[in-house]
Amino acid sequence: METPPRLTTRAGLAALAAVSLLALVETASAIVAPYRAPTDQDWRAAAAQVRAGFRPGDLIVAAPAWADPILRVYLGDLIPAEVAGRMDDERFERVWEISQRGATSEAAAGGTVAEKSRFGALTVRRVQRPAAAVRYDFVARWTDAHASRRGAGGASVDCPRVSDRLQCPDVAYNTVRRQLVEVDTRLRMALLAPPVTQGTVVIEYPHVPLGRSLVVATGLHNVWLRKEASGPVDLRVVIDGVFDGTFTTRNDDGWALHRIDTTARAGQVAAVRFEIMSPAPHARQFALAAEARF
Amino acid sequence: MKIPRLDTRRIDGLITFGLALATVIWLLAVEGRQGFGRDEGQYFRAGERYWGWFEELGSNVANGEFKRSFTAPVIDRYWTDNAPDHPVIMKTLYGMSWRAFHRCHCTGATRGLHPIPVKGRHITLPLFARESTAFRFPAILFAALLVAMVYRFARGWLSRPPAAAAAVLTLAQPHYFFHAPISCFDAPITTMAFAVGFAYWKSLRSRRWGIAAGVLFGVSLGVKHNAWLMPIFLVGHYLWMRRGDLRARRFPRPPLAFVAMLVLGPIIFFAHWPWLWNSPVTRTRMYINRHLQHEHYNFEYLGFNWNNPPTTTGRKLIRSTAPLVGTALTVPVTTLALAAVGIAALVRRRRGQPVAPEGPEEGPANAGDQKPSWLQPGADVDRAPGAFLLVQTLGPLAVLSVPSTPIFGGVKHFMTAMPYLAVLAGIGASRLIPVLAGLLPAARARLRQFAPAAFAVLVCLPAVVETRRSHPDGLSHYNLLAGGFAGGASLGMNRQFWGYAVVPMLDVINRDEPANRAMYWHDVIHDAVNMYKRDGRLALEVGDTGFGEDALRRSQTGILFYEKHWAIYESWFWDSYGTTKPFMVREREGVPLVTMYRRGAP
Repeated sequence: METPPRLTTRAGLAALAAVSLLALVETASAIVAPYRAPTDQDWRAAAAQVRAGFRPGDLIVAAPAWADPILRVYLGDLIPAEVAGRMDDERFERVWEISQRGATSEAAAGGTVAEKSRFGALTVRRVQRPAAAVRYDFVARWTDAHASRRGAGGASVDCPRVSDRLQCPDVAYNTVRRQLVEVDTRLRMALLAPPVTQGTVVIEYPHVPLGRSLVVATGLHNVWLRKEASGPVDLRVVIDGVFDGTFTTRNDDGWALHRIDTTARAGQVAAVRFEIMSPAPHARQFALAAEARF
Repeated sequence: MKIPRLDTRRIDGLITFGLALATVIWLLAVEGRQGFGRDEGQYFRAGERYWGWFEELGSNVANGEFKRSFTAPVIDRYWTDNAPDHPVIMKTLYGMSWRAFHRCHCTGATRGLHPIPVKGRHITLPLFARESTAFRFPAILFAALLVAMVYRFARGWLSRPPAAAAAVLTLAQPHYFFHAPISCFDAPITTMAFAVGFAYWKSLRSRRWGIAAGVLFGVSLGVKHNAWLMPIFLVGHYLWMRRGDLRARRFPRPPLAFVAMLVLGPIIFFAHWPWLWNSPVTRTRMYINRHLQHEHYNFEYLGFNWNNPPTTTGRKLIRSTAPLVGTALTVPVTTLALAAVGIAALVRRRRGQPVAPEGPEEGPANAGDQKPSWLQPGADVDRAPGAFLLVQTLGPLAVLSVPSTPIFGGVKHFMTAMPYLAVLAGIGASRLIPVLAGLLPAARARLRQFAPAAFAVLVCLPAVVETRRSHPDGLSHYNLLAGGFAGGASLGMNRQFWGYAVVPMLDVINRDEPANRAMYWHDVIHDAVNMYKRDGRLALEVGDTGFGEDALRRSQTGILFYEKHWAIYESWFWDSYGTTKPFMVREREGVPLVTMYRRGAP
């Protein structure tokens, strides 16, 4: 009978040693790993530390980010929806990071560690970072805005404020409202302003104190509608009648940040207009947030 | 007392039985901790409804109206449930098992929670305290059958310790183990894929098994639509095995197994599913189209939410890695390493050689005096075991590598590969055992004797421990390479689906004040809620406000399963409940699985 080739001594021994060692390591890891997770006690202690030093305007984050729901069980009362759904992290000077397994948060990047303590499997760091001074938050100040719809022929109709939104006539979904949106499976506080067929949705803020930059974030809300449709949405930003840029948002773009340099007009008050249009507006839930920053 | 000496056949029989029994015991011991997934809730309902047809058939026979049960309205009343989605063999078994083995409280407070009218107290063999266990029992038996078959199949090549290791490693895979005890089809079709492959393999040198392959294929068609793929993999192997014919410009003779599958498969498929009987062509087309045009449900993989076929080259490349990466990050790493050794051994194997050092020769000489024919087409050639295991393992993975196929089921979509992967691991173990024995001094004969079994135990240990660790959240679990639950979450791998992970929260919900019982269940479907109540695990007073945003806004308490695409639901909680602070989070090793909000909670 022909016999199969035996593993050569050296390869065989190496394979045997590797598999045996792996079996032991994997078994040990499976037994030990559950004990490496943070306990309720760790979370309570870490939360107490944060509460003791927390100041209004601080940002509290979890690292890795997937631990955020547990973080909010302990500190959710200090994280309002506006902060949880923040446009980005730039405005926060003090960041509390509760981390595990050596992870760090992007929100704490670029800062200096002012405090650091360990509570079991959790590490609390307070990070001091240079923050952007926000001169005007377009989402928070949505009641300052005037909205209108401009038809293909150029005729324009006003969209008066009705309860919690600006409602354009004749088209039920043609609204502008501040709400939590889901873009790229993350929640943001934004203005939801769906584009309309053969028309432009115009949102104008008449008196905006400008800083050195105007930061605009755009995205498409609602995972089911991103699945259903793929049309792009264009946002045109006009400052005091001068065209400053068009940003196109597609399904895969996520929450895209666009920066317009307004250094030359810093300190001035200007009218800022957002014009929203799409060649295929079906199921496009366009969301935007913007801040004028120094 | 003289202990009777067992022959080889009997020892193997006992080991086979022991492995199957251990499987049943392990699964029955732990299945209750695992909640009911969306699909399982539907199959409970459908299974019980299908049983209703048999119940009515019995009444009709007793009343001399036998034919009445076969009229279109009566058939459709019962069998349209969950049609055209899935054929009905398993669901029917679940329904029958429930009817036979549940402990009946059916005329009590839960009477109205059944999908068919309860006419009176059921006389049963009350094996199981929970009704859901009675539904699940056939799936558990199918898992036991698979473990037994893997041992028998591997024994064709390997000695007992590595063959038993292959069987254990089949079960001891966290994702397979998750699917094994539940009343769904993914574990049963894994059993059937192995059964069909086993029968085909035997049919290459035995005419009896050719017919059996056809029958088993027909049954597979009645279990799940994955069965459509089985012949493709087997034809691939057959053409490779008979590549000599192709080289000689001869078309290989179609073997009995394929003929039987072609003839018996459709007959059994049609015969088993009453819903098809009254409109066979239209409804078969509906069934096929349902799966050929299946929606891409949301699924997280490597941090992306996949819910449509990818359109860019980059995304297509990422998507195509899903089955391979999914396997690499979910199967215990020691099993993967052993399988790699097994693959290396098969690659080095020459035609005719045994698969394992101590195994039988594989070449035609071992086929005895059988003459090659379409009845035993492997009699005159090496059966190419390496190619067989390759197509059975890589075939399902390859299909799911095509970017346009949906991946919403994760490992379950290519789980039919896993028993064959375990066989490869068994082959790997068989190659390392002689190396280990060679290290032991010849004088220590007893030590050498036990070395194979000890090594088999060693290589099974991590898989068993890891599987135990994963339960009941097998879908959230990732292996040592990924870094466990937390590593999987950090890599952006899918954490769960089907809304099953709620069992540890039921006590909290039960203890809640009556004012909070307007409950939003998110992804736990109403059939599952009903079954928790029928099982006595959920208070009957707990409500179900329904699905979607309006239902959430009507609720006082609500849960949210963590899946990437459900984020929008959390915004509704924040908005409607006026807080971002959950009342509690159900987690595993620090990884959130289910978040609970309570309106007005501090």
